Amino acid sequence: MRQTTGQITRLGTLKTLLQRFAFLSLIALTFALMLIGKADTVLVERARIAITDAVVPILRVLSEPANAIAETIANVRELAAIREQNSSLRDANERLLQWQSIAQRLEAENRSLKALLALVPEPNATFVSARVVGDTGGTFAQSVLITAGSGDGVGKGDVVMTGEGLVGRVLQAGMHSARVLLITDINSRIPVVVGEAGNRAIMVGDNGLRPRLLYVGAKTVVVPGDKITTSGDAEAFPPGLQIGRVARVQDGVVEVEPYMSRDKLQHVRVVNYGLSGILGSPSAALESPK
Amino acid sequence: MHQTTVWQKFDFVARRCVPLTITIFLLLFSMVPLHLPGVPSLAPMYTLMAVYFWSIYRPEGFGYGAAFAVGVLEDLLVGTPLGSSALALLICQWLVFNQQKFFSNRPFLEVWLAFAVVTIGTGLVRWFCAGLIGAGGFAPLGDTAGSIVLTIVGYPVIGWLLARAQMKMMSQP
Repeated sequence: MRQTTGQITRLGTLKTLLQRFAFLSLIALTFALMLIGKADTVLVERARIAITDAVVPILRVLSEPANAIAETIANVRELAAIREQNSSLRDANERLLQWQSIAQRLEAENRSLKALLALVPEPNATFVSARVVGDTGGTFAQSVLITAGSGDGVGKGDVVMTGEGLVGRVLQAGMHSARVLLITDINSRIPVVVGEAGNRAIMVGDNGLRPRLLYVGAKTVVVPGDKITTSGDAEAFPPGLQIGRVARVQDGVVEVEPYMSRDKLQHVRVVNYGLSGILGSPSAALESPK
Repeated sequence: MHQTTVWQKFDFVARRCVPLTITIFLLLFSMVPLHLPGVPSLAPMYTLMAVYFWSIYRPEGFGYGAAFAVGVLEDLLVGTPLGSSALALLICQWLVFNQQKFFSNRPFLEVWLAFAVVTIGTGLVRWFCAGLIGAGGFAPLGDTAGSIVLTIVGYPVIGWLLARAQMKMMSQP
């Protein structure tokens, strides 16, 4: 009997030791992973792409009910406001017809001026539409997963937009899925133009709802309501893409309210402008320290 | 007779995998966009809730290896610096395993209070790791604090769901 109790005690001690060994080994492995993440970004990126490609089909199925509910709510809302919307659309249509005639005249003028200058045309942008099936939360990273990848023509660095404005850039493209780094992510850096005066700045995300402006000129006056668009510097984004407007200026901190609303991100347009700027490869931007 | 033994073995392994499977599904569900207007960008740490729950109530079915695997999967899927979630989850589990005596037959309120302490600690570890390893630097601490509060508030609901799921799956003949 005494022998049996001794055996049980020894087994218990062995189990505790093994558990402790497992814990310490896994902690060491975690630190090793952190180092690998810093040193070999290509390997980690490949792992992320493989996991994303495997999980997106599951997320696609899981997100169906939420999508259906969101669409039903949107339909009911639209129905309720249909009369009001109809009259405002008539007004908008009249205004747009006037603009159309102006645009046609300007297009003709533009064409003749380009011919006069013998301007080399820019490559046409191509785009792919995709559904958002995964949202990574937000406290520690701000990215979404979409249902189009390199097999559908999506490439790393492509610009992602909705009708409202800029959403972000493709960070990793798998075969049939891609990860989009949102403009609100802490790793996002976008060269922008502030207001009508055309002052340059860099818009930086902080994982919150409102990105901030950095490197605003000392003499630049920024007021709430100023529009923010991409500047086209560094050829990461084409110039003139709508991003948002200045929401608050306090103690030198300029906060931007993006036009894109994250809760409405159901479908996005992934556009390839054929740009190959220094920010074209997001991993390169991630590798370099701030 | 032999067939029954194999089936029993399979059943045993499947039951052991229940906590890990449910935790991975919880992680996937947490990533589904709900399109609810006005939902803040903050999100609770669902995997932390699950790891804490299983470490107390099913330690034999959810060891350090499982917590590590969930953490690495979360880092790869969510896009956080590799290793940051895994470290936070391992620390959470180590704290629970080291206080097994405290947790045995404790009322829920005390388990919840202990969860609040664990969440604050591990949430800060995650924030610190993400800031230290991530290229973007340290995020404002306010958002992490918000996420910690959401995690603490959400634990009773997720804990209840996990307990229900466990009872349902374990009671199958």
